[in-house]
Amino acid sequence: MNPRPIKLALVALAAGLAGGWAAAGRAQAPLQTCTICHAKPDLEVVDANGRVRSLYVDEKVLKASVHARKSCKDCHFDVKEIPHRDRKPAKVQCTHCHYQGNPEGAPQSDAYLEYAESIHGQEAARGNPQAPLCQDCHGTHDIRHARDPEARVSRMNVAETCGRCHLKIYGEYAGSIHGVALLQKRLPDAPACTDCHGEHAIRKKEDPNSKVYVSNIAETCSRCHGNENIVGKYGIETEQVATYADSFHGIAEKFGAKTVANCASCHGIHDILPADDPRSSVALHNIPKTCGKCHPGANKNFAKGKIHVNPDKAEAGIIFWVKLAFTVLTAGTMAALIGHILLDLRKKLKVRRAAKNEGRHD
Amino acid sequence: MTEPAERDSQPGKEPKPYQEALDLIAEELYQQLRRDLDDAYDPDLDDYIREQVKKRVERDLGTEMDLRLARARRRLRAEVERGLNKERKRRKMAAAPERGRSLVRLNRHFRAQHLALFTSVIILIITGLPMKFSRLGISGFVVNLLGGIENDRILHRTGATILIGVALYHLGYTLFHPQGRSDFFLLLPRLKDAWDALLNVLYFLGITRERPRFDRFSYMEKFDYWAVYWGCVIMIGSGLILWFPDTALQWIPKFAVDTVKEAHSDEALLATLALVIWHFYNVHFNPDRFPGTLLWWHGRISEKEIKEEHPLEYERIIPEPSELLPGSADPSPQADAE
Repeated sequence: MNPRPIKLALVALAAGLAGGWAAAGRAQAPLQTCTICHAKPDLEVVDANGRVRSLYVDEKVLKASVHARKSCKDCHFDVKEIPHRDRKPAKVQCTHCHYQGNPEGAPQSDAYLEYAESIHGQEAARGNPQAPLCQDCHGTHDIRHARDPEARVSRMNVAETCGRCHLKIYGEYAGSIHGVALLQKRLPDAPACTDCHGEHAIRKKEDPNSKVYVSNIAETCSRCHGNENIVGKYGIETEQVATYADSFHGIAEKFGAKTVANCASCHGIHDILPADDPRSSVALHNIPKTCGKCHPGANKNFAKGKIHVNPDKAEAGIIFWVKLAFTVLTAGTMAALIGHILLDLRKKLKVRRAAKNEGRHD
Repeated sequence: MTEPAERDSQPGKEPKPYQEALDLIAEELYQQLRRDLDDAYDPDLDDYIREQVKKRVERDLGTEMDLRLARARRRLRAEVERGLNKERKRRKMAAAPERGRSLVRLNRHFRAQHLALFTSVIILIITGLPMKFSRLGISGFVVNLLGGIENDRILHRTGATILIGVALYHLGYTLFHPQGRSDFFLLLPRLKDAWDALLNVLYFLGITRERPRFDRFSYMEKFDYWAVYWGCVIMIGSGLILWFPDTALQWIPKFAVDTVKEAHSDEALLATLALVIWHFYNVHFNPDRFPGTLLWWHGRISEKEIKEEHPLEYERIIPEPSELLPGSADPSPQADAE
């Protein structure tokens, strides 16, 4: 036990007494009243779990946030007396203001409804103390707009924010092509967690409505990898989406097979790496192992030939020529057969008409 | 004893056609009974005995006769009706002998192969094309109708198994059946077929007035046969590799499997188009055949048709009168055993 925080807290409480009495009875406690204690960087308590929690609030942080014009009591409206004595201020409820149709002028969105249906919201509703609430991602006094690069949920920062709980996955992601592109090269097109998993509506991968459910993976990846405007800038081909859709894997996936390979089955999930990286699951020497996850006994024959092969392109080699030969053969055969049919039909009808006319003369 | 009274009154109203026979039998039985009764016979009660015998005979034998007569009437009617139809047909054919006479063109082995072949091909087309054209809306509809992609694949492989069976059966038929052997040689392409095709087109265009004279198999039928032959080799060969990709990939590289898949998919389309357009026109939609010939079912071709379509064959085999059987749509078992 470290006695220092308790001592400090007691000092703070004692110091607060004077101002506290003075502030009592006033309808709106000005910021200054709270900062008597909370502006002190040393203000800490030990919570029920024995962890030290800082109660320090930097006024500058609040002033720089979207809530710059709010005062403490707008959110901490349950604080009725200073010091708080036994009545510990409750956790702030963001939905106090942020709901559709609110008169406070708070941004109106259905985000809180999406959150309630998400795995985070459902776990929180079930009472899981580890489930994140709004402030766990958006921050507390330092809430900024998602477009603000300083925000915890900005493109560049959101991975780190998720990683505060999902540390292991953050590690995998940070080393992947996506993580390197975003976190190190600062490329704004690179996907952060939320681009694949969703923002408020994050669902478990077992949930059929999840963006990362087996049947939705190809669709989720193709939102960028099928879009020339996004991946084209970086020299990444978009035809992988079409070649997958035309492969046996893609067709079975489209028609609802659950055990068939999707993008992530071969390329990995958070640890995706380009094929020229020797650590990649789709690097040439790793292909037998990767295919072997589903195709027992896969050997290096699996690596001989492109996986995402487009038979319409000459670089497909023999496949291109076979397709071309069949196209010519089919067109030629059908032209000849249909020509034969039409000539035969014309002659037959002529003969019939002649026979009919003869019958009429008789 | 009201029953006998009713019975007495009924014959009075409507005498049975066999009443006389009943009376004779009753009389005979009465005489025998009189002898059998011996001492028990009482002349005073003679009329009672006579009456009893008559009633018994009328009740038992009369009922029996009624039932038998009704049954005989039914049977006779059915038999005579059948006979009448046959006789009508016979007289009609006797009036125009050319129309009714027919020959066996496809024997039972051939018909069985054709039946199994088109069953398997229909299954394969219905279950296969949705995989080739997976982007079309109707493909999803068909797959859902079949109960999902897993069912679709099982059905496709069922069709494939039937097709492989037909192919093996046909190889055996070609090798070991005399008709199969001779048909195979007649199906081999010859220079005459090219000439026939040319002459036929000239005839269609009205440049020549005579159609080319075909043997047992015209160039069109030869095309059909060899198209299926080629199709079976490609589809079964590539299909087996696609059925067992993991085994195949132990020996051949991935790009070879992709090549085979491309060939399977492309040949499937070619075969489907040839069947639906060419074959269906020849056997269903052309004005002479519409809505279709039943040759594939009964295997018989009329003398008139064989003279027109296959004159060289007709002249070659000049049918014996015994080979010509009446009734083109009514094949008899003996005819198949040739």
